[in-house]
Amino acid sequence: MTLIQFALRDISRNEFRSWTVSLAAFMVAGLVLATTLLMQGTGDSLRLTLGRLGADILVVPQGSEERVETALLMGSPTDAWMAETTVDAVRAVPGVAAASPQMYLASLDGASCCSVSSMFIVAFDPATDFTVQPWLEEELGGPLALGEAVGGAFVSEPEEGLRIYGYPLALAANLEPTGGNLDQSMFLTFETAREVARVSVTEAVAPLEVPDGAVSSVLVRIAEGADANTVAGAILAGVPGVGVVMSPEMFESFRQQITTVRDGIALVVGLTVLLSLLLIGIVFSMATHERRREIGVWRALGATQRHVVGSLVAQAVVLAAAGGAAGALFSALGVYLFHDYIVERIGVPFLFPSTPRLALYVLVGLLAAVLVATAGALLPAIRVTRQDPASAMRE
Amino acid sequence: MTTDARQKTRTPAIILDEVRKVYGTGVAETSVVAVDGVSLRIDAGEFVVISGRSGSGKTTLLNLMAGMAAPTSGAVALDGQDLWSLTDAGRARLRNERVGFVFQFPSLMPSLTALENVMLPVAFGSRRPDAGFAERATELLRTVGIEAKASAYPRQLSAGQQQRVVLARSLINSPRIILADEPTSNLDERTEAEMMELFRGIHHATGVTIVMVTHVSALRSNGTRSMEMADGRLQVDERVGAPGA
Repeated sequence: MTLIQFALRDISRNEFRSWTVSLAAFMVAGLVLATTLLMQGTGDSLRLTLGRLGADILVVPQGSEERVETALLMGSPTDAWMAETTVDAVRAVPGVAAASPQMYLASLDGASCCSVSSMFIVAFDPATDFTVQPWLEEELGGPLALGEAVGGAFVSEPEEGLRIYGYPLALAANLEPTGGNLDQSMFLTFETAREVARVSVTEAVAPLEVPDGAVSSVLVRIAEGADANTVAGAILAGVPGVGVVMSPEMFESFRQQITTVRDGIALVVGLTVLLSLLLIGIVFSMATHERRREIGVWRALGATQRHVVGSLVAQAVVLAAAGGAAGALFSALGVYLFHDYIVERIGVPFLFPSTPRLALYVLVGLLAAVLVATAGALLPAIRVTRQDPASAMRE
Repeated sequence: MTTDARQKTRTPAIILDEVRKVYGTGVAETSVVAVDGVSLRIDAGEFVVISGRSGSGKTTLLNLMAGMAAPTSGAVALDGQDLWSLTDAGRARLRNERVGFVFQFPSLMPSLTALENVMLPVAFGSRRPDAGFAERATELLRTVGIEAKASAYPRQLSAGQQQRVVLARSLINSPRIILADEPTSNLDERTEAEMMELFRGIHHATGVTIVMVTHVSALRSNGTRSMEMADGRLQVDERVGAPGA
């Protein structure tokens, strides 16, 4: 029998210690994993959304900057309109390489004419678009036809067909997930949007209002070598009634929200780690105190300090690995199952990672639990070996 | 052969030179002198029984011989090695390879079977535990008459059976010295006699050096040399019979 085998056999002898260490590891691994999943997931989600937007500057009606940002990130419908002439005015600003308008619409809430309720719909101009169109060319080999739409990752065509405002839509493709409600949004062309509005007058419970000569935003790509700040300043100075959101600053309020959430969670994780360290330290102190005679016998039989410390730490590692694995599993499952609820609570979308990345995060959580347990067990283990064997055996 | 002549020709197993052990804070009023300037030489192959009342310092003397307690002053050599010139790991290795222990209290690991308990010291040694050790452990259990209980856990064994397992464990690494601390104190008279018979048999068969401490004066006759301790000092040191007899 090796010492590791002995350590494993010995674990069952002290149920209180085993449960306490496992529970502490469960909490540490679970919290570390949940934090990693949330922080990485929100970061990934913001990065993906920003990448999909593909614009350097977003021009919106003055005062609606935050609403539009929320709509674009969270996929929550918004109502923002400005004159279509804004597009040409923006295009004329020096340093602007491309400008393309978008309209933000929404399906009706709970109406029989819409197969999806309160869905955020983005209409784009295929003639000038430089964000959705290139992706469409690549994925579909051509532009969207009249009556076709691209859905977010979780948009699917119901059996009875996809209809908004009584207008039947064909789902041409789905986008990659972003982790938020944008995954339940839809993209279609201006032409289709106007056709939906036309049909809705007779086919829908309430008509789709698409104001004539109005757009919701203008996406701007700046010319190579141009300075985004200068171009944004020129837009604000030259185009009346608009506000701008610069790409690096986009979703800033969400970033701040993430930072607040992250700081809160970091505090909880820090406290949990500290308490776990303390708890494991106390439990192992009690265990080594109870077993000091046995440890004395070990030393008499020829166990070195390293044997004793190794055996105690091995037990802590095994218990922490078991508890940590359970904690990580519980945490991953919880974050996965309660994804929508968490997004709603923290107000920021987050993306569940791919399986290899999830495995890596689980490993990080497990490692944290094992490290905490090792550190907690180490001090009492070292302390008990400092006693001479004869003193350890004396009661 | 006279005692002096014999000491010149035999290898010393244990040498204590003016060994003193004081427990306490260093303040004279609260300190306890457990061993007070003991000098002795035990030769290889001797069976020494040290008797004395409780608190006379015999267990401390045994611990000092094994390097399990540091002397306050004096020197201890075990099998030719000055114990306190070795590192802690060095002393542990020496104990593992050359010393077998039999304790007064139940010292078997509760989560291990009798056979596994016998093999435990092998796990602390430098040699890898292999099937050969299992065979040797089984053989030792046979020697102490408890082979049938090889797969029993300590809780399934009587006190006498447990001490037999402990005796078998003390022999697993073929030690040169066995140190036994009141090995029969928890046993009834019959089992005590059986245990002493085993000690004598092992001593006779292997020639291993045995140092046993006991509070039972009657057990002194089992050894080849008898000592008596009182107040931390050796009061009597006499030969009982020829070594290895």
